[in-house]
Amino acid sequence: MSARKGTVLVGCVAYHPRIVTIWEGFLPYFAERGLRTDYVLYSNYERLVDALLSEAVDIAWNTNTAYVAAEERIGGDAQVLGMRDVDADFRTVIAARREDAPADARSLAGGRLALGSRDSGHAAILPLHYLAREGLDAASECDLVRFDTDLGKHGDTGDSELRVLRAVREGEADAGALGDATWARLRTESPENTEGLEVFWRSPTYYHCNFTALPSFERGRQWTEALLGMSYDDPSVRAEMELEGVKRWLPGDKSGYADLTEAMRQQGYLG
Amino acid sequence: MSARRLDAGTLELGGGLEVLVSAALEGLAPGGEIDVALASRAAALELPPWARIAGHEVTGEDSDTTRFVVRIRRGPVARTLGGELPPRGSPLALPDGTLAMEPLRDAVGAAPEEASSDSGLVPIGALAEPGAPGYDWQLNDRGRLWAEEISSLTESAAADQWDATTEIPWEAVDGLPDHVERAVAQVMTYIAQNEYAALYLPARFLPQVNPQYAEVLLWLSSHVHDEARHVEVFTKRALAGGARAHALASTELSLHTLLAERDFTGSALLLNVLGEGTFLDLLRFVEQHAPDAATAAAARLARRDERRHVHFGISHVRGRIESDPDVRPALVSAAEARAAKLTSLSGLSPLLTEALAVMSAPSLQPAEIAEAASEVRSLLVRMDENRRRRLRAAGFDDATARHLSELHTPNLM
Repeated sequence: MSARKGTVLVGCVAYHPRIVTIWEGFLPYFAERGLRTDYVLYSNYERLVDALLSEAVDIAWNTNTAYVAAEERIGGDAQVLGMRDVDADFRTVIAARREDAPADARSLAGGRLALGSRDSGHAAILPLHYLAREGLDAASECDLVRFDTDLGKHGDTGDSELRVLRAVREGEADAGALGDATWARLRTESPENTEGLEVFWRSPTYYHCNFTALPSFERGRQWTEALLGMSYDDPSVRAEMELEGVKRWLPGDKSGYADLTEAMRQQGYLG
Repeated sequence: MSARRLDAGTLELGGGLEVLVSAALEGLAPGGEIDVALASRAAALELPPWARIAGHEVTGEDSDTTRFVVRIRRGPVARTLGGELPPRGSPLALPDGTLAMEPLRDAVGAAPEEASSDSGLVPIGALAEPGAPGYDWQLNDRGRLWAEEISSLTESAAADQWDATTEIPWEAVDGLPDHVERAVAQVMTYIAQNEYAALYLPARFLPQVNPQYAEVLLWLSSHVHDEARHVEVFTKRALAGGARAHALASTELSLHTLLAERDFTGSALLLNVLGEGTFLDLLRFVEQHAPDAATAAAARLARRDERRHVHFGISHVRGRIESDPDVRPALVSAAEARAAKLTSLSGLSPLLTEALAVMSAPSLQPAEIAEAASEVRSLLVRMDENRRRRLRAAGFDDATARHLSELHTPNLM
């Protein structure tokens, strides 16, 4: 008998051991609501998107970059089943040494700009895109210092962002880009990583991760309902929600990916 | 809708900004808003993502000539699932500047009759947050653990702590004749051997007691700590004069049966009432007949602790019997079961009783040895009389007290 029969299969990228803890905690929650769910781990988002396209999984827990890549291949009809509250107002920030912080982004021209993994939306693709909107073509006007340390994981591990901050702290770069949530967490939980630095620029908001499904997936609505019903006040999933960095799940919404789609197209990540 | 203004000055994330804003939001109902005024643009740029991660919403950002202002709406999520804390009550009364355990219970309520076996490590008066890992405590019934004076006994234990390294006149050990020192070493070794059992038995119950009975945990901990010091002081005295002695197998057999007791009240009877009760008489004898001041001091200080333990045992057993008369035959059965395992023992080892006599005698002159041996025989009679008295105080009738005391005869502890 197939293990898959009747089971909603969610694909995730194993960027940290806690992914297992999170999903082992979530599975009973979905089962109790009549939506038997299981998870499969992939080592990178490219494999996960392939798995979604080939229907090896029903739902992909995607980064924004992975979602845009999947949407492009699906043809614009992907279902977005939900996202975290923190995914809805994501920004990129650029930090510099406090004494050298420039007044604006244009002032970075001629300097060294550290970026995270090149497949990270928040730490590489979008900063270049939004800086260009402000008139700075960083790829040609700055010396880019790239830290491609977790390629395939789209910046999820946070490792490349830590290297960005270290490069700025140690004077190997004049400024560095990272996710604003990463910055806020490091500031309060391990301030040594941001010692002597400050944020001087931030991007517009954009969306980050989402649960992506093919248009043919028939139980998307039920699964979304169950997801949105998950409460941070429920002790049986609170610890897992904390690990996932979510306090409230939000319904699927495609409106926050236009900039990233444009950026990925311009920077050659699509097609 | 107006928002209260919070001037955060030059604070930044990681430097106290999040502490100040959290405290301010904590005072608001979900949906309430505050305007956080910040001196630096950098702080104004990093506060919104912090608010988002913490489950709040940024509903506005503004600046004037001196301040950057971030308006934050408190999110709906509670920081804990433990429920609302009650309003602050009156400070606890402090008679003579002291704070015992009873006023805590007066303030928050008595220990529950029954405690949930899966409850967590929740201090008295604290609100337990759901979702914590479950435990499986074995002792969850207040009546099966409590003693009327448990809190005051624990207070006494804390007040009576002593130091076996510095509070014994160890220099007084020097100079005893060989035969006396060997006798002292044997008596001290015997007592230390028994103190091990008195340590292990209450220690076994400690991890079984539901944390809601903090007083019981404090009591048992003090008991264990007392016994550890007794093991220490009698071991030190045994070795201090240079002699060595035997750890007797017959003593081991007796203690082995004591350690087999698994019931809390059974342990209170066998260890606290019978064993430590008998030891009160033994330690008194040692104190009065010790050939040196160090031995006398060790016996005196240990005896002071043992009196508390005996007091607890009598109080606990009496309380159990009063609340449930069926406990009485069960306790008699426990004593009989222990005695049944000790049929090979007819009484105390001659090695011990002879050592007690030699230790007590001023010399090896026959008349003085005879006198000392007579004192030891009197001690054994006195032990029996006092055991019966304590058993009656614990709620047993005369006949049962006599029966239980006789069953205990081969043992001291």
